[in-house]
Amino acid sequence: MSFLQLLFCVSTLVFVIGVVYKAVRLARMPLHLRWDLYPIPHEKGKGHYGGSYYEEVDWWTKPREVSRAAELKEMAKEIIFIQSMFHHNRPLWLFSFPFHFGMYLLTVFVILVGIGAIMALSGAVVAPDASGIVGAAVYYLTIIFGVIGAVLAAFGGLGLLISRIVKPDLRHVSTWTDYFNVVLLSAVFISLLWIWNGVDPSFAYTRAFIGSLVSFSSIPALPMAVQVHLTLAALFLLWLPFTHMTHFVGKYFAYHNIRWEDHPNIRGSRLERSVVEALGHKITWSASHIKTGGSWAEAATDTGNDTEGEQG
Amino acid sequence: MSRDKTTVKDFANTKGQLVQLDESGFLTLPPPYDDLNLQPRIRPATDEARKKYECDLDGVIGFKFPRPETEDEKRQLVEKFLSGLKKLFDRENNWPFLQPLFVTMEYCAKCQTCAQACPVFNESGQIEIYRPTFRSDILRRLWRTYVKKGGRFIASLSGNDISVSWTMIARLMELSYRCTICRRCAQTCPIGVDNGLVTRELRKIFSMEMGIAVKPLHEKGSVQHLDKGSSTGMTPVAFLDNIEFLEEEVEERTGLEFKWPIDKEGADILLIHNAGEFLAWPENPEAFAIILEAAGINYTLSSDVLGYDGVNYGVWYDDVQFAKVALKHAEAAKKLGVKKIVIGECGHAHKALTVIADRVFAKEYNIPRESSMTLLLDIVKSGRLKLDPSRNDDLHTTLHDPCNMVRLMGIVQPQREILRAVANNFQEMTPHGVHNYCCGGGSGFAITQDGNFPDWRNSISCRAKLRQILDVFQDIIEPEHRKYVCAPCSNCKGTLRDMFAAYGLFERCNILYGGLVELIVNAMTEIEKPFLEWEWH
Repeated sequence: MSFLQLLFCVSTLVFVIGVVYKAVRLARMPLHLRWDLYPIPHEKGKGHYGGSYYEEVDWWTKPREVSRAAELKEMAKEIIFIQSMFHHNRPLWLFSFPFHFGMYLLTVFVILVGIGAIMALSGAVVAPDASGIVGAAVYYLTIIFGVIGAVLAAFGGLGLLISRIVKPDLRHVSTWTDYFNVVLLSAVFISLLWIWNGVDPSFAYTRAFIGSLVSFSSIPALPMAVQVHLTLAALFLLWLPFTHMTHFVGKYFAYHNIRWEDHPNIRGSRLERSVVEALGHKITWSASHIKTGGSWAEAATDTGNDTEGEQG
Repeated sequence: MSRDKTTVKDFANTKGQLVQLDESGFLTLPPPYDDLNLQPRIRPATDEARKKYECDLDGVIGFKFPRPETEDEKRQLVEKFLSGLKKLFDRENNWPFLQPLFVTMEYCAKCQTCAQACPVFNESGQIEIYRPTFRSDILRRLWRTYVKKGGRFIASLSGNDISVSWTMIARLMELSYRCTICRRCAQTCPIGVDNGLVTRELRKIFSMEMGIAVKPLHEKGSVQHLDKGSSTGMTPVAFLDNIEFLEEEVEERTGLEFKWPIDKEGADILLIHNAGEFLAWPENPEAFAIILEAAGINYTLSSDVLGYDGVNYGVWYDDVQFAKVALKHAEAAKKLGVKKIVIGECGHAHKALTVIADRVFAKEYNIPRESSMTLLLDIVKSGRLKLDPSRNDDLHTTLHDPCNMVRLMGIVQPQREILRAVANNFQEMTPHGVHNYCCGGGSGFAITQDGNFPDWRNSISCRAKLRQILDVFQDIIEPEHRKYVCAPCSNCKGTLRDMFAAYGLFERCNILYGGLVELIVNAMTEIEKPFLEWEWH
């Protein structure tokens, strides 16, 4: 196994483990108190203006009317178009949108490269003149998604970098990692365009490299430019789990478990049982007005009101 | 004025007062308050106060925390702070908010989209310490340096470390009281990071570990609430006396003679007001009583300790105090065997009791809670009240949306439908609904009256709301037009009262504030005399 193959495998593994670890860690955090924030799009008939089921008299006696379609529509607008930034920070959105949308296209590109690699290993031809339509489709779609994705993402990345350097309120709050992240990513996109425009116009070398990983065979001969691009991509995968760039994980929890989490605690429900469990957590906060050492339930029902030594 | 370049490192390291507030840098207000001479000033703290109390953030004293005298005292405070910091990220000690806090700590991309939304930051002329991410970045650095695995070494590799000292902590203590937790920042964040939550979580370290909190919230707030029955200090006996007095006043004002139901077992509804209403705005609970009596609602008030005061200050600074008070409210309702609790015109009581406490209640304490807005709309729509909106024609009305009821709970339409039914000249502020601006008194600011903090509140945190009020009434700003800011929330009314007084809004522009129920009663045809008294209060 060559160094590049090893680096790529290790990076991919670190990326997958890192992302899964972050998701599992968040998912396993204890039940929290409600901290919803409106508008919540799944509120049927009310989501568009920010209303909730609390607007109904005797709301607990009425069936919850939830629109998953409305929720999915909002999610799509936010994920694909980054609508919150469109509305509240348009100058930055001009770069953030192509940056992210370009990456979605590049994700499809990576999948297509993988499909092409497996097809090539199984003897199918991935070329413009392939006998089967699939081979030609994979060939052309790989180029289309790769190039358009990289152009958009590179434009966005460079725009974000320049914004962070030039705008005082961004420059002021940034540390070196904030610049490094976008520089590294932009380098991945630009190097992809560089190899497309030069030594790998159909990404055949890239496809062959991925094929060598999948089949555990030795690395094919690769032009230096392709090696540079693949190295940058691997370094990015290795770096990403240690940064806030895993916000695609955090965002899911932020919206679905917190902002839009408005599930009411109805008497006798499973949620109510979880609440009882949560109140059993141990408390060791030590201010004198808190009965420390027991459970939260004990602290919350403690009738003592001792404030000795407290200020305020 | 040149751009403020205060950094987080300055926050930790600078000696003396970090920021000098300069009113000429605040955003210009609409007429007639575009004249700086008509604006109140932020009075500088006296030399004596500066010597005695911590105020090295921005010269504003909110906490009134005495400066520690010895290095040993400072060291102990720092140790306590770090102990509390660790508990904030512990799944047992902070199960109530661990996941929301963790998401906020881990995922901020520093894009500054939230900065555009923050009224305190923008209206101050963009003073750096008031930037939503400034406070959060400090907590984030503290977490990385003192809690996360790898500690200072890993944090320093990315330039995200910080060194703790008493100076830094004392500033942070004050800085945790420069945000109203309106959560406009959270609403705009593309990722879901919540800088308002950071404010609250910081306050928890001070209160729950160090035993330090702003007096009106803690000692004279939740502690008094649990001890005497009300955060105002009003005991059950005093409450009952008050009710008797209000019954007489209602009869005098309206000719209607009826007893208010107190401690009525088996009633459908327990109505809980913010007890401040009884003292500062008695016309509000009076109006409720008139409406519910006329509509034939089977309700009761409670004279039980905590049963007559719906506030829950712990929601802003202390999860244990919050839970204690919420459970006491539920207990009062359980004792009376009511079907539901209805919350009067108090924003944070709405959010605290109905939403946040939803996962504190179980079994017999899990009694349904409802907003008075929905009940009132039901009454208005039912036709049980004979209403004539032309009785409010002498007023131009706008609606202030309390953050806790609207953006944080989704009660948006009922109060508007009611207003349209009882007041013909109703205009919306811009923005309104879930995108409203905070009154400036949120998170306990309304009741924090010590030192020069109210001056800061009137000049900075209230500024966006003042701007909205002046803008919506700009065409009729002259005093010959009566203008009413309907604010169905006690804390908002308290804030507006102080702000209006500071700017002379009533005298100069004839703008008054008040609740929603007063307008409803003012429109009731069975009451001959106008219920609303157009005089400053």
